[in-house]
Amino acid sequence: MATVQQSRYGQDEKRRNADHVSFLKHRNYRWLWISLLLCVATGVGYVLIDQEPRPNGGTWYGYTLGTIGLGLIIWLSLLGIRKRRINPGGWSLKAWTSAHVYLGIALIVVGTLHTGFQIGWNVHTLAYVLMLIVIVTGIYGVVVYATLPSSLSSNRKEMTRAQMLEALTAIDRQLESAAQPLGRERSDLVLDALSQDTFHGGALARLTGRYPRCATRRALKQFGEPGTTADRDVATPEDRVRALLQKRADQLGQIRRHLKIRARLEIWLFIHIPATIALLAALFAHVISVFYYW
Amino acid sequence: MSFLIRTIDHTAAGREIVRDRTLDQNAITIGRSAENDIHLPDLAVEQRHVGLTLGDEGNVAVRSLGGLGFTIDGRTETQADIDPDIGAEISLGSARLALSREGGGPVQIVIKQVEKNEAAGDALQAFALSSALPSKRAMAWTMASAILILLLTVPIITHLTRDPVVNDPDVESEGQVLLDAAWSSGELSMAHHDLEDNCEACHVTPFVSVQDETCLTCHEELGEHAATGRLATGMPALSTGDAIQWQIAQTLGKEGPLGCVSCHSEHEGPVKLEAASEQFCSDCHNDLDTRLTTTNLGNAADFGKKHPQFRPQFFTAHFNEEPSRVSLDTNPVEKSGLLFPHDIHMDENGGVAGMAVSLDQYGQPLECSDCHATEPDGVNFEPVEMEEACESCHSLVLERTASGFRRLRHGDVDDLLEDLASVQNPASGSNSSSRVRPGQFRRGGTYYSNFGRPVRDYIAISRALESDGVCGECHIPTARTGRAGIVPVNLPDDYLVRGFFNHEAHEDEECADCHKADASDAATDLLIPDLESCRDCHLGESAIKTEEIMPSGCATCHGYHTPTMPWRPEDHDDLPGGPPNQTPANQTIAAALDRKTP
Repeated sequence: MATVQQSRYGQDEKRRNADHVSFLKHRNYRWLWISLLLCVATGVGYVLIDQEPRPNGGTWYGYTLGTIGLGLIIWLSLLGIRKRRINPGGWSLKAWTSAHVYLGIALIVVGTLHTGFQIGWNVHTLAYVLMLIVIVTGIYGVVVYATLPSSLSSNRKEMTRAQMLEALTAIDRQLESAAQPLGRERSDLVLDALSQDTFHGGALARLTGRYPRCATRRALKQFGEPGTTADRDVATPEDRVRALLQKRADQLGQIRRHLKIRARLEIWLFIHIPATIALLAALFAHVISVFYYW
Repeated sequence: MSFLIRTIDHTAAGREIVRDRTLDQNAITIGRSAENDIHLPDLAVEQRHVGLTLGDEGNVAVRSLGGLGFTIDGRTETQADIDPDIGAEISLGSARLALSREGGGPVQIVIKQVEKNEAAGDALQAFALSSALPSKRAMAWTMASAILILLLTVPIITHLTRDPVVNDPDVESEGQVLLDAAWSSGELSMAHHDLEDNCEACHVTPFVSVQDETCLTCHEELGEHAATGRLATGMPALSTGDAIQWQIAQTLGKEGPLGCVSCHSEHEGPVKLEAASEQFCSDCHNDLDTRLTTTNLGNAADFGKKHPQFRPQFFTAHFNEEPSRVSLDTNPVEKSGLLFPHDIHMDENGGVAGMAVSLDQYGQPLECSDCHATEPDGVNFEPVEMEEACESCHSLVLERTASGFRRLRHGDVDDLLEDLASVQNPASGSNSSSRVRPGQFRRGGTYYSNFGRPVRDYIAISRALESDGVCGECHIPTARTGRAGIVPVNLPDDYLVRGFFNHEAHEDEECADCHKADASDAATDLLIPDLESCRDCHLGESAIKTEEIMPSGCATCHGYHTPTMPWRPEDHDDLPGGPPNQTPANQTIAAALDRKTP
């Protein structure tokens, strides 16, 4: 029993330590080394093995690389299923993710050697290009996951998303009451700003942070610079609205910076996942067509 | 300096109750305790939570009194300064206090109770990029279905439902399968360019590789390199990878390493068919005899290093019906049935030269081309015709006639006998009596008739056919058939039957550089140059090209399907689009084999 307890403790300790190791560094870069080995082995094979009449997917080596690539692609795409299965077992999601990243990158070498550098406008190259798109977006994903979250947190300034929205509505309420004395024209400007959806603008606006149709900015512009009458020490309603609009623009700015970072953090999945499914379809068409027209 | 406190409550029916009160003081406190200036009965609020102090410049300082923060304009702070002219909103628990000031009036604080915003959670969803993009699942399904329908289903269905075309060498039918161009892994070779949009012309049956039978519907004239069984025996063992691949491929219906497509791989781009490499041939021929033990071919790999001596075909004995192939290493003797010393004819100072100089036809010592004329293609030589080449010196003139000269016909002994017998031979008569018949009855006269024995004719004939007779100048007399005659002339059409030699390509060379005719005093000398003499200039494919050395692969002289016609792309300028290369029937392997084994 003692040994069981001992090993149980050791196991738990190991797990606790492992919990703080990035999936990239998992087990001393085990999957990085395995992937490098795969790349070197396939590359050396490509150079040394005499492929008649020329290297391409149709030689025995080409078929071998193709089979390895197909297996890898199918296994890599299973991550989506694996990560949804939160059940105990001798499989670690971290190890799986680590292997997913490194083997996915190794797939560039395996896939490219499988093509024999023969590229054309056909279903075969479609599968290859989709594969590259999936891998490149995956690499992008790893990079942004490593770099962007810190800027996301610094932009938050200890505010939650709900607080950001709440702040905006607080400003909006004040704007609404502050704008009561304004004339029709200016009221409409404020109304436009208030009624515009906080999240207006598409994915492109989110990614670039440019919102050319922002009603708040437009209203600010129309209100112009604050009055310069030196003797006036009493704020006019225009001044109040202008100041509130400025606050609103600042708050929107924070929200939009958040959206921008978030979009840059998430965009790759919107390519990575559909392209993976499309890749599986193209791969199926590639394999079937090759043997259909053998 | 004062605060205007406006409390807005709602009755159960939703009606608003507004209460105003003014506090004439510079500082107020807000909290749960009743002693505060603004009393908020909310457990989330401290007893004394926030203090508001009106500054000299009209601003309001907001300070947390209990250390717990407050929310101002959505942010949680413990202290803040507000310009009431701009306004701010302070949240404490469920109360919302809006600060403002109109004109120079008091600081107005409007207090409202906040209703719980149930939609706030939904609004948070909008922060995710998914709210601005179509769902990943929808995109995935759309793309996957488009690929599977357009690039898989459509070609397969149209392929299965097409009208099969039986045989169409001229490519007159159009491709019926839709979108299968997307399946092509690369452009076809130039020879097959017309089939680019007609995949099913070659890919006839689904999941069955292109069959030889399909290739042969157009290329029916091509011969086999050797019988399939011998080819298989002669092939070297496959590498493990190749062996496994072929095993799988043959299980799945591929025709194996001897099928057309195993060498002629298509979809490698618009290339011309290239001559096979030396390696391609030497894979088998380097050590062919170790596997194909019955072969009479010598091993060959690199022309400069490993190539058997030439074995030209010629007649090795008089009266043979067929020529034999004999290695030049065995000092072969050609029995052509002719007597012809090349040296005498080529000696520039000899009698033949003198004769030639005296004749208008030549005007100078003989040259090779005076007798040996190239064929129009410049590759080979026409057979030497006696009448053209020899007769200007070796005259066969028989007698003078009214219109000129009458000559013996050449080529057939029977013609010769007839011509000789018809001669009105003016016998010398000197050994007979001196008496002569008069007038037209005398010898040679109109009415002269020779009633004697025909001895003289026979003598003339046998004299002509003797070794010192007119025929014997060039021919070997024989009485093999029981009467006087000559050994038949046996010269092969081609000496080199398994290789190809282009004389035109060697026109810069002198004939005698290779054919040692000027030193040959008998027609039995076989003047075919040997391997070594070719190697003076030609070495294997790996040799370095210099002014003297020409690297030459097997395909320089040999073809795979056409032994006497090596494949050279430059011979096929009609590609692409032209009719498939028509190999003359007599140049196929099968024809060559037929020639060899009667």
